[in-house]
Amino acid sequence: MALKLAVRTVNSSQSAYACFYFTPLFFQKYIPDPDTLKDCDAVKCKLNIKCVLPLFRCVAWRERSVDRCEITINIPDSRVIFQFHCRHGITKTHNLGYQESEALQAVFPAHLCPNVLKAQSKLLGDIVVHFPISQEEVTLSISSYKVALKTFYEEENGCINGMNTELMLHPDEFDYFQVGEDSAVTFCLKELRGLLSFAESYGLPISCQFGIAGQPVSFSVKDMTLEAHVVLSTLTDPNLESPSQPAHGDDCHVTIPKTSTVEVSTSEGPMEADVSIADEERVVSSQGSEVFNPALHMRKMIQLHAPGEILPRPTFVPESALTTPITPATFKIRSLLFGAMLSDGGDGNTADLPSLACGSDTEEDGGSEETQVATSANLKQRMHGRYCRM
Amino acid sequence: MPLSTQSQADIDQYILIASLDNARNLSNILKAISFKDHAIFNATQNGLKVTVEDSKCLQANAFIQADIFQEYTIKEDTVGFQVNLTVLLDCLTIFGASTTPGVCTALRMCYNGYGYPLTLFLEEGGVVTVCKINTQEPEEPIDFDFCSTNVTNKVILQSESLKEAFSELDMTSEVLQITMSPSHPYFRLSTFGNSGNAHYDYPKDSDMMELFQCTKLQTNRYKISLLKPSTKALALSCKVSVRTDSRGFLSLQYLVRNDDGQICFVEYYCCPDEEVGEE
Repeated sequence: MALKLAVRTVNSSQSAYACFYFTPLFFQKYIPDPDTLKDCDAVKCKLNIKCVLPLFRCVAWRERSVDRCEITINIPDSRVIFQFHCRHGITKTHNLGYQESEALQAVFPAHLCPNVLKAQSKLLGDIVVHFPISQEEVTLSISSYKVALKTFYEEENGCINGMNTELMLHPDEFDYFQVGEDSAVTFCLKELRGLLSFAESYGLPISCQFGIAGQPVSFSVKDMTLEAHVVLSTLTDPNLESPSQPAHGDDCHVTIPKTSTVEVSTSEGPMEADVSIADEERVVSSQGSEVFNPALHMRKMIQLHAPGEILPRPTFVPESALTTPITPATFKIRSLLFGAMLSDGGDGNTADLPSLACGSDTEEDGGSEETQVATSANLKQRMHGRYCRM
Repeated sequence: MPLSTQSQADIDQYILIASLDNARNLSNILKAISFKDHAIFNATQNGLKVTVEDSKCLQANAFIQADIFQEYTIKEDTVGFQVNLTVLLDCLTIFGASTTPGVCTALRMCYNGYGYPLTLFLEEGGVVTVCKINTQEPEEPIDFDFCSTNVTNKVILQSESLKEAFSELDMTSEVLQITMSPSHPYFRLSTFGNSGNAHYDYPKDSDMMELFQCTKLQTNRYKISLLKPSTKALALSCKVSVRTDSRGFLSLQYLVRNDDGQICFVEYYCCPDEEVGEE
């Protein structure tokens, strides 16, 4: 198991998941504590993201004044320590309390995605710049002769009130183009912007894997020192869904997402529910279980997975669909999860941590659907899909 | 210029006349202490001292020496009054916050004495405004009894280095703790907020540290809500001196250069929040 620092976050409705893996190469020094880690595979802790972000907020200050940033996990005191060594000998130390937690991991069968696009981040950046910042959802559609991205409005008359934008791209524009199944997936663009600007600042190409509507879409970047994934749930297509009976006699509340994004509030409350870490990357075949959606669009949730658990058969029971307890909508705090895994030693080089992609929360409660999603460490290796190109 | 058309009789009755070609040289420095509505003005031969206090725990003073003014006439040893500082600042900036170079508001501030309003003549671009602000009986400013002989620890820092720290202070912390010591951590600002604590350390050999005279370890806490307004003075200043005395009282002195490069001073005095104890 490779040494790494994993930083993960999921929004409260579990419709957006992001994770960053940093190998020791990313850092100037990466020093796991063998005493601590001999008892467990990894140090796992959970911080409130609103406490961490302000430490890195001021770009000008960071670039001008900060020479070095040290991050230490102090287990006896339950503190994560961010120490900035600045010019003129000044040191800023922030001791943030953390909660222990199991790390979460989205389970997403990237290798089973029929559609794969890979493009330079600049291309994607140039595409999304045409959509207003306030634009929540967009629909990405693919066929063998084109890829299109357009604004999506839930209401019928939404397109009258707002500005509609549609961009079409020829397959040649992409570094890699594979369409296994013509489809159109609708997801929240806002939650992707963080990764896109990160990729642009690093000059990394972005991979996008997706299937049909309702299945999650995954965006990822990777280089020698880091890997980042954002997995977003997508709206199901009401035309394709067929009604089916809920099991166990529970009534299935269809939750219609009023908005697909949420402002993060500073309300106090328990952190995100515990979720589990996968000790090794686990690839699970997608069950492909589409849960009914009687009338309206609905957003499927990302399946979060605990290691050692047998993945449950799909059920139609709301809120038991996830293997992890759902955070009620009242708890809107996003949490930032750290996990460091032990293996052999390693040294690397780095500077400050880059800004992390942040998802935004949705207001909705858990829906009555489930989606199983598996993530793999190296998506590219597992892509065996058909390659189809005009 | 209209201001000079006042009759000699008018001029004779004023016990204080202070004129500035650029009113910003006064308004900027007053903004640095404008955390409360009321200010106590005390004018002497040496110049103008403006005092603002909060909860009997915090006092801020702005000093504008007589030679900053283009004209400064005082007919008594000391002239004191109290005015609404917010109103005064509104009047001083009545022509708006124009930063067009070369265009500034000229000020003539006149006071007849006890019971009379403070009269401001302001002119910009040929337009004259006359403001009369009611004055009140001046309260006696608190004497913090802070004298240099009792000073235990003193540092002088370039303001640049403290500006970031003060602007990003964790306001969920109730206190700002200041530790000064002849040994590590030398000079440390600490907050204790909801998410955890933060420490800003300035070593004694930092090139931001102009003077370091600490005789013993002292740790004192001050209400952060009281000290936060001093950020304005810090933002204006180029240097700041931080001193604590044997009781743990804090004195912050800011060296401010005005638009014309002249030097003025602002100081803050603050009582400690609780006895953390000296070691």
